Amino acid sequence: MENNIIETSQIKYTAKDFSSGIDVKWCPGCGDYSILAQVQRTSPDFGKKKEDIVWISGIGCSSRFPYYMNTYGIHGIHGRAAAVATGVKLANPDLQVWVATGDGDSLSIGGNHFIHACRRNIDIKILLFNNRIYGLTKGQYSPTSEKGKITKSSPYGTVDFPFNAIKVATGSGATFVARSLDRDPKHLQEMIMRASRHKGLAFIEIYQNCPIFNDGAFSVLTEKETRADNVLYLEHGKPMVFGANQDKGIKLDGLNPVVIDLNDGKHSIDDCWVHDENDPNPTRVFLMARFTDIENFPTPVGVFRRYDKPTYDSDYHEQIKNVISKKGTGTYEKLMFGKGSWEVK
Amino acid sequence: MLRLFMKGNEAAVYGAILGGCRAYYGYPITPASEIAETAAKYFPQVGGTFLQAESEVAAINMVYGAASTGQRVMTASSGPGLSLKQEGISYSAGSELPLVVVDVMRGGPGLGNIAPEQGDYNQIVKGGGHGNYRVIVLAPNCVQEMCDLTKAAFELADKYRNPVIVLTDGFVGQMMEPVVLPEPITEFQEKPWVVDGTVKTVNNLISSIELEPEDLERHNIKLQKKYKTISENEVRYEELYTEDAEVILMGYGIVSRVLQSVVDEARSEGLPVGLLRPVTLFPFPTNKIQELSRTAKLFFVSEMSNGQMFDDVRLALEGKSPAKFFGHMGGVVPTTEEILEQLKMIFNELKE
Repeated sequence: MENNIIETSQIKYTAKDFSSGIDVKWCPGCGDYSILAQVQRTSPDFGKKKEDIVWISGIGCSSRFPYYMNTYGIHGIHGRAAAVATGVKLANPDLQVWVATGDGDSLSIGGNHFIHACRRNIDIKILLFNNRIYGLTKGQYSPTSEKGKITKSSPYGTVDFPFNAIKVATGSGATFVARSLDRDPKHLQEMIMRASRHKGLAFIEIYQNCPIFNDGAFSVLTEKETRADNVLYLEHGKPMVFGANQDKGIKLDGLNPVVIDLNDGKHSIDDCWVHDENDPNPTRVFLMARFTDIENFPTPVGVFRRYDKPTYDSDYHEQIKNVISKKGTGTYEKLMFGKGSWEVK
Repeated sequence: MLRLFMKGNEAAVYGAILGGCRAYYGYPITPASEIAETAAKYFPQVGGTFLQAESEVAAINMVYGAASTGQRVMTASSGPGLSLKQEGISYSAGSELPLVVVDVMRGGPGLGNIAPEQGDYNQIVKGGGHGNYRVIVLAPNCVQEMCDLTKAAFELADKYRNPVIVLTDGFVGQMMEPVVLPEPITEFQEKPWVVDGTVKTVNNLISSIELEPEDLERHNIKLQKKYKTISENEVRYEELYTEDAEVILMGYGIVSRVLQSVVDEARSEGLPVGLLRPVTLFPFPTNKIQELSRTAKLFFVSEMSNGQMFDDVRLALEGKSPAKFFGHMGGVVPTTEEILEQLKMIFNELKE
């Protein structure tokens, strides 16, 4: 079930229409510029009028996003964007609600709001800019910083194990879970487009470079020389193949993924795991999400999972309709002077 | 004497370590982050712990846990973070847990900005959380005091089994000044109430609940008595040329530094002004204000807020002396010139 596209053929938007025109204040070279550009480029194709879209954020570098979009914008409290978005969507289900957030905002201080938004499958879209660092407060470690990372608040290296955002979102019940890269504009545009069409909670983790406090965190995935051997593009119904010469694959050996050499004479493309993004069982999503934790495995990008489940907002409004049809429209008099009240004489 | 050149935020960590604090739980926020960063660097070196919590709420609850074991523990933040910590501070006051929180104030309300302001006075000095409680509030105005008062905060917290908040502003937190390190605290009083895994303390319970109204009232009365004792014994202030002053200037934190210059300038122009700077905001120097009101003609209060401490000055004066307020908000700092101009007008009015 993908959202119906509203006919906006009379209105021809361009990317420029979605720019608020105010000065963008991110550091030079920040990955956020690319994310903003890809959102503005894809927005005309959402099939929504500008006044039907709202961007909501919390605190962090990512949270400047609403200022730069020529749509409705709400800049809320640190970590609470998912809760604010839930209120907006429930109050006005006709709005397309987007959240711009970061690894600190949504996986640390806002972790609870994030998992419960996923659990409810409320129809909002969450873009999580993951730079694995606290940028706005100038360089402390974040809940996605790799173990052992030296930062201003971990001068001897972190002892925390990082969160894996794909696992968190999947485990919490998000119905669209994807990953993309700030330096891969085409892929990012495709993911944003697909999220815009999904009905239910859509989550995209975007690996984003912070050139000031965590430069090069994802360079192995974005630089020409290393990209092909380290990135696995997930495509529905296609075998998992990667490598500069498309000569490596992933085979599923029971519940153990293994990297296979397609040129070793023992394996062929037929041995490769075929990606099924509609798989109702999340087990295989967790196996894919784990690739980033295993040495010599490629980092999967693309849609990990997309499936249909009733959304909180549509079910809730359906419930209101049912209650009214069974009990009739409530009036103030009926509620105040009905069965539950009596007169004191 | 060896002097170290450092930021106010760094000095707070030195003061904490010298005050026997060995645990820090916090969350990054500008303009307080250097406190966490400095703690991350130095606490492990003295056998202490540092943990960057997942949120401000988590941090204050970790502090609650560590304080329950008897460890000297702290956290630090700025206004938005303190708003989040209020629940934990109320619970700590109810459970009578000694702990220290440093608040490096920034502009508000809401996200506001990261410029220095003093708009947290009400949420810190008046409680902020729910219930009939008070916290001891210390207000440093220089980097040396960031060190000394943070150290003192741990002694006061243990002495009264009460949260202590070091309330300062982004200016004092961020500016650099030389500091003479005080002697470390080496003797600690016993804490028979702690949960520390010994046979002696096995029946201890740390809690803020009292289900019976009469019991809870008794607990509250006990707390009020404690606050009264604190008010009688722990008031600290600094005064400058107050003996013959016709106008008493009042301000705390960075504003008091501006007021020091104002007093010098005004005196050189023949205006008899003095300065009363509260170092403790709770307890408030009410008696001192009343004493000065017998000789001074007017109180002039300046703050980087909408006049939150001004309310307490007026309460202390009980209407017996006139009081005027001059302040800025949003991160704008009152200047010596502006205040002098105000004072000249006041003296002209006083002559008439």
